[in-house]
Amino acid sequence: MAATNVGSYEHSTAKLHTVAIKRMAIHAIIFFCFIGLWEFGSRMGWLDPLFYPRPSAILHSFWLIYVENGNIWFHLYATMSLVLFGWIAGSVLGIALGSLVGFNPLVRRFLKPYVIVLEATPRIAVAPLLIAALGFGSMSKIAIIMLVCFFAPFINTLSGVVNVNEDRLELFRSLRASKMQVLRKLVLPDAIPVIMSGERLALTAALSGALVAEFIQRDQGIGSLILVYTRNLNMASAFACIFTLTVLGFLIFKGMEMLDRYIAFWKYEEGRVRISQKRREKMKGTSHVG
Amino acid sequence: MNMIKGLLVSATLVTSSLPVVSFAQETTVNMINPLPRSTVFYPLVVGEALGYFADEGIKVNLLPSDTSIPYVAFIQNGQADLSMLDPNETINALNAGAEISTVYEVMQNAPEGVAVLSGGTYKTMSDLIGTTVGLVSDRDRAFLQAALDVTGHSIDDVNTVVLGESGPTLAAAIRDGKVSAISGSVFDWAGLQAAGIALDLITPDELLASPANTFAINTNMIEEKRAAMEGFLRAWSKGMYVSMVNPAVVETMLRQAVPEEWEDEASGLSLLAGVLPMNISTTPRLGDVQSQVWTDIQPRMLTSGAIEKIVDVSTFLNDTYIAAANDFDKAKVEADAAAWAKSNK
Amino acid sequence: MSDRIKTGNLKNQGAVPASDANMPVFDQLFDLALRLLPHLALFIAIIAVWEIAVATQLITSIIIPRPSAIGGAIVELYITKGTIYRHFIVTFSESVLGFCIGAAIAVGLAVCSALVESFRRYVIPYAVVLNVTPGIALTPVIIAWFGYGMGSKIALAAIISFFPIFVNTLTGLTQFDEDREELFRSLGASKVQVFAKLRVPAALPLLFAGLKIGLTTALIGAVVAEFAQATDGVGVLMSRFSFQLNMAASLATLLSMTAIGLILFYSMEFIDDQIVFWRRESRREEKSRARAKAWKKRAGK
Repeated sequence: MAATNVGSYEHSTAKLHTVAIKRMAIHAIIFFCFIGLWEFGSRMGWLDPLFYPRPSAILHSFWLIYVENGNIWFHLYATMSLVLFGWIAGSVLGIALGSLVGFNPLVRRFLKPYVIVLEATPRIAVAPLLIAALGFGSMSKIAIIMLVCFFAPFINTLSGVVNVNEDRLELFRSLRASKMQVLRKLVLPDAIPVIMSGERLALTAALSGALVAEFIQRDQGIGSLILVYTRNLNMASAFACIFTLTVLGFLIFKGMEMLDRYIAFWKYEEGRVRISQKRREKMKGTSHVG
Repeated sequence: MNMIKGLLVSATLVTSSLPVVSFAQETTVNMINPLPRSTVFYPLVVGEALGYFADEGIKVNLLPSDTSIPYVAFIQNGQADLSMLDPNETINALNAGAEISTVYEVMQNAPEGVAVLSGGTYKTMSDLIGTTVGLVSDRDRAFLQAALDVTGHSIDDVNTVVLGESGPTLAAAIRDGKVSAISGSVFDWAGLQAAGIALDLITPDELLASPANTFAINTNMIEEKRAAMEGFLRAWSKGMYVSMVNPAVVETMLRQAVPEEWEDEASGLSLLAGVLPMNISTTPRLGDVQSQVWTDIQPRMLTSGAIEKIVDVSTFLNDTYIAAANDFDKAKVEADAAAWAKSNK
Repeated sequence: MSDRIKTGNLKNQGAVPASDANMPVFDQLFDLALRLLPHLALFIAIIAVWEIAVATQLITSIIIPRPSAIGGAIVELYITKGTIYRHFIVTFSESVLGFCIGAAIAVGLAVCSALVESFRRYVIPYAVVLNVTPGIALTPVIIAWFGYGMGSKIALAAIISFFPIFVNTLTGLTQFDEDREELFRSLGASKVQVFAKLRVPAALPLLFAGLKIGLTTALIGAVVAEFAQATDGVGVLMSRFSFQLNMAASLATLLSMTAIGLILFYSMEFIDDQIVFWRRESRREEKSRARAKAWKKRAGK
């Protein structure tokens, strides 16, 4: 099935394109049927408006909060900057420590109990302590998010670094590879799929971490907005906010997937083909005379 | 990859920490309370709309936080200048050694109470015997106990279940009869009533006189923060006064400042109607601390287990700011409100 | 977790290091004590500094009590008054039950997704949607469906722990050595054999990493649900003490929450060790020695 020349590769991408559209169409149809049923059930009085607000009401809310009042933009920006900042900080910390601990048994011995204790503690309970230590405001919220999304990358990186394929390691050693070469050409490439998997988890964890932080410090952000709406039983607007988060989360997830295809390309046939293509072109250029 | 991350990080850091350009004399007052800017505490919104806080050189930094956080601790360590506390929290804090003073009563009519469905089968406290009563949170058990004690029953005569603060859960519980009544506070039923669930309060009269949501401040800071506190409380009192003479303009201000509570016209109006009487002081001086009331409520708080020891009110009630807080020109405030109404038609 | 990357030192080949089980008991205990000593020393140092800091008013916050006060609260909670046991068991069971349900569904769906490409395509969007919808926002609906008791906490625990397990298991199952797969096929292995003997063992390390994350996440789900609405549980207890400004007891309860997390984590690590035994050299040797014995028995007498 692997394409062997440029022509059929383009052909297969075109095919993929139409297949993708077909799939999206199916998803869309399922979605609209679901919404239709929901609206119908709500109008018939079968669904409790307290818990399942009517889709038309939710749509109206979307209009209100995005256009007419436009009050969601500020909160959206607040939440997203928290998520982004917290996620980056948390994963950088997680990957760095994961690699450090993976390579260094002594550090691991001393760090391990504290990391485990920290992970075992639900962060929502630690929030007051964090606020006492870091004060009100973004810092403590970001700290909560970091705590939440640090562990997945850490554990997965550690797992990836430690579970090196030992036969290949011996091969590298027998070819007299330096430590850096081992790291760059063996450990990291093998570990990257696992690390990426950890990153994906971390990002979605960051979103819910941000929400937990905003439920506790409710000055701004989508979390605080949801609280106001549920307190006033404005469930349509509350759902509009929740769906906003869901859509955001979904977009983030898809974004991560694209990143995954780009970075850990060898997992995907399409990626392998693409990169081989590129490399072949390059080699043709350098080895070709004239 | 790392560079891009670095750029993103610094961009976010810079934009999220941009300080508001402030003019020379501005002081920030950090206030910790359960709600963000809201109809429930409209004096803040009104005061800000008419510029009263700015006139005093004050910028209010609201720190709305979940009640699982011990507010008092943040007055202690200076991260908050003012905290909204209720009597339970105040007495418990004092018993735990906190050095706080209650300087202003925000809501003088007890927002705590026991609510039942309007026109339902339960009409008095006695009707609740043998039923399941919902509590908004663990802490409301003490109030329920006091209410039962006062009417000659005991907490063991009912079953209790903690429902949580979430609106829909409370609404469904009382509407569907899963609980006979709810023991909670104004925060809880204002929302329910605004959404059309008619409630009656069956709180025993003896328990109605209780100050709730009082401003507490670190005792050691009373003199140091006098200027800022007097200014803050004066602006707050002015906001309260506007609602006493011109509630219509309060409505418009709220609609602009907190659109999320006014998306449905009717529920916004209902909410405001519910909280207006709570926010308006019954004492001659707005926000005055009522020593007698505080003395009277403590015995039943003791017997219901809400507090461990009774505290002498003279040790923490402090009306040192009240005179200054009430020192404003009422006619001018009325004029300001009218002018605002005209220009914001 | 594996001890270290094998150094591949040719000198060690052929030498059989003494297995732990062969050492005399006293030596084992002594060994254990030696290993624990540095940790103990570090811990005691931290506690001492903390106690002194509070005693000398360096830390004045009400939120941070003295370690001795926390110790007193622990004694009171566990021994004198024993208030904590009921709540401990409630939260513990909520987490475990939620995890079991979430894990069962997650692994089941992951296996189906790994085997059937189109199934995966349809499951993943909904799994993602469920994951990104914040748990806290789901609590009113969950409470409406599952009631005011343990049901809603178990449900939230299951929902929140579902995704990490699902993702890790799926990644593990789709990430296998293609050369080995060819080898299996060339030896005439059936699809089932390929799955059971190649893909499953290859996936196990990641699966267990996922289970470890999932278990602690289940605890978080249970606690979040408790903070939203609960009558019993460690979360409620902690909240109660916090409100009464009894910070020592509140922190003691937080430590109990951590203890629950630790118990869960170490149980999972133990199971991980038993099942994914090939990661630790000593375990590998133990196992191969056991198998060698078994073979000898079958081949010999």
